[in-house]
Amino acid sequence: MSLLVELSNVGRDFDGGRIVAVDGVSLAIEDDETVAIVGRSGSGKSTILNLVCGLDRPTRGEVRFEGRAVNGRAAWAALRASRIGIVFQNFFLLQSLSARENIEVALLGNLGGARQRRVRALELLAHFGLAERATLRPAELSGGERQRLAIARALANRPKLLVADEPTGSLDVQTSQSVMSIIGNAHREFGTAVIVVTHDEDVAALCGRRVEISDGRIRSDNRMTAMPTPAPTLRIR
Amino acid sequence: MTELTLPLRGLISRPLRTLLTVLGIALAVAGFVALTGLTAGVQHSFASGINENGADLVVSQRSAFNLVSSAVPKSLSSGLSAVPNVEAVSGILLNITTADDAANIVMAGWPSDSFLWKDMHLLAGRIPAPGDQWSVILGESIARALDKRVGDTVELQFQPYRIVGIASFSSVLNQNSAIVPLEGLQQLLSREDVFTLYEVRLKRPLDKNDIAVARTRLIAAAQGFEVGDTEQFSSSIRIFDLLRAIAQTISLVVMAMASVAVANTLLMAVNERTFEIGVLAALGWSPRRILRLILIEGVIMSAAGGVIGIILGVLTMEMAAKTNFAAGLIVPYLSGWSIAQALIFVFIAGPLGALYPAWRATRLLPADALRRI
Ligand SMILES: Nc1ncnc2c1ncn2[C@@H]1O[C@H](COP(=O)(O)OP(=O)(O)O)[C@@H](O)[C@H]1O
Ligand SMILES: [Mg+2]
Repeated sequence: MSLLVELSNVGRDFDGGRIVAVDGVSLAIEDDETVAIVGRSGSGKSTILNLVCGLDRPTRGEVRFEGRAVNGRAAWAALRASRIGIVFQNFFLLQSLSARENIEVALLGNLGGARQRRVRALELLAHFGLAERATLRPAELSGGERQRLAIARALANRPKLLVADEPTGSLDVQTSQSVMSIIGNAHREFGTAVIVVTHDEDVAALCGRRVEISDGRIRSDNRMTAMPTPAPTLRIR
Repeated sequence: MTELTLPLRGLISRPLRTLLTVLGIALAVAGFVALTGLTAGVQHSFASGINENGADLVVSQRSAFNLVSSAVPKSLSSGLSAVPNVEAVSGILLNITTADDAANIVMAGWPSDSFLWKDMHLLAGRIPAPGDQWSVILGESIARALDKRVGDTVELQFQPYRIVGIASFSSVLNQNSAIVPLEGLQQLLSREDVFTLYEVRLKRPLDKNDIAVARTRLIAAAQGFEVGDTEQFSSSIRIFDLLRAIAQTISLVVMAMASVAVANTLLMAVNERTFEIGVLAALGWSPRRILRLILIEGVIMSAAGGVIGIILGVLTMEMAAKTNFAAGLIVPYLSGWSIAQALIFVFIAGPLGALYPAWRATRLLPADALRRI
């Protein structure tokens, strides 16, 4: 167990300081944690998540990953290519690519040959029950399939940290349960640390730690005893 | 999936814009190919015209400005004739003028005793009688264009000439030329003591080595003058450099415009695909890889434009050479080098135009890019 991500006194302003989205946030996350970030809409959750994976730049403070301060786009990109997987609320799949290619795109920076990438992508698709869907475009997939594809893509490079911004926000109860169980499995079997932004208390309850945000600040930060284990519906190697 | 998949899908998803940009590049390349091909064509056409007369080597003034301004003194004649292995030497005078004010024409003045008359293929009439200064043999093409027959009169260099023969040549230049007795032309041009050049015919049989040896000896006999084959002769004429420079300048401007077209297209594409670029960045694509993505799109469009442009340029060139003003003076001549230049351009201009849009794409903060859906 060691420190994975550390925000120290981080702040993020928009509109030249008129909007303070995040202010004075300090948060340290271990490499075996599952963290739920909860809070009302507009409280700053997404902004914090963006700062955690370098999609955004803090106005104040510092973000460290595995003990090192990360600076610059290239350094962050390298981390996202190998150590951070991101699942977005709106899937953010590339519409011009097939399901298989959507995964290969994420492998392009890391895995040498086109053939290796294809094999790995097909492996992941099979793993997430999408083997038959390999050649379809995202528009031809169901909501649940798209979400599984998005998770498969995020896990493609076997990241140390899986970050998800409201991954169940647009799904029905049953599908969101299965999404959470996939994420839970990734945590248990890959040893991937997980940060989930959610406003769904059921989802938050599945995590080992609950951080509540309001007005860009941390209101509370509680560790549960243990992460409840959801029934595994899909196994992840 | 390779690194080409995304650029190709990107281009295909905007077919009209891609097509128009490719067309813009193609037109620029076509302009370059046609201009340089036609310029080289003028030069080449002179070389092949002189070559056809049966000369193996040409003695001319060093770096004359244009074809007719070259001057070699009459006094060289005996020295050149005395060189071993030389069969015959013929000084000739060249002039470019208009025929009946209707067409551009090359006038060649040949001495009455020249070996050049012997190889001439007459279709009608005869060669000028010795002493008859104002008679002319017209090339077949120019005779047809001016609708002239043996016995008609044609005004050349403000002097009425009587047409005594019509001859057929294989080179387009000669097909459009007028051949007159030397002395009359010298009088008209006030160039009594000089020739434009000497055509030197060597003894047969002849191999490469013989030509080289004869050339060295001729250089010794004509100190300070240029001795070379017909191709070397025409490339030593400076006006062709000037033409080439003009063609290259125009080409450069046209090609810069093509670069701007590439930049414009890709800038629009980058703006439109901000979101996609944001997703790629979120997936860990480095700024360099994203830069390369946009550059590759530029290169693909340029390569397509280059190929189409070369084909288009060749067609344009062929058409331009058939127009009235150019007929006979220009035979399209496309060298491998000018095709290479066009391709080199394409692989510089395309990426150059793509560079700014690509750089813009890498400056985007992923979070900002992803917000724009
Ligand atoms: N790029 C931006 N420009 C201006 N304001 C922004 C920007 N991103 C977020 N905000 C503002 O910052 C606050 C926090 O946003 P966000 O982190 O998206 O909240 P949450 O994810 O908790 O709903 C909101 O008031 C939002 O309007
Ligand atoms: Mg949000």
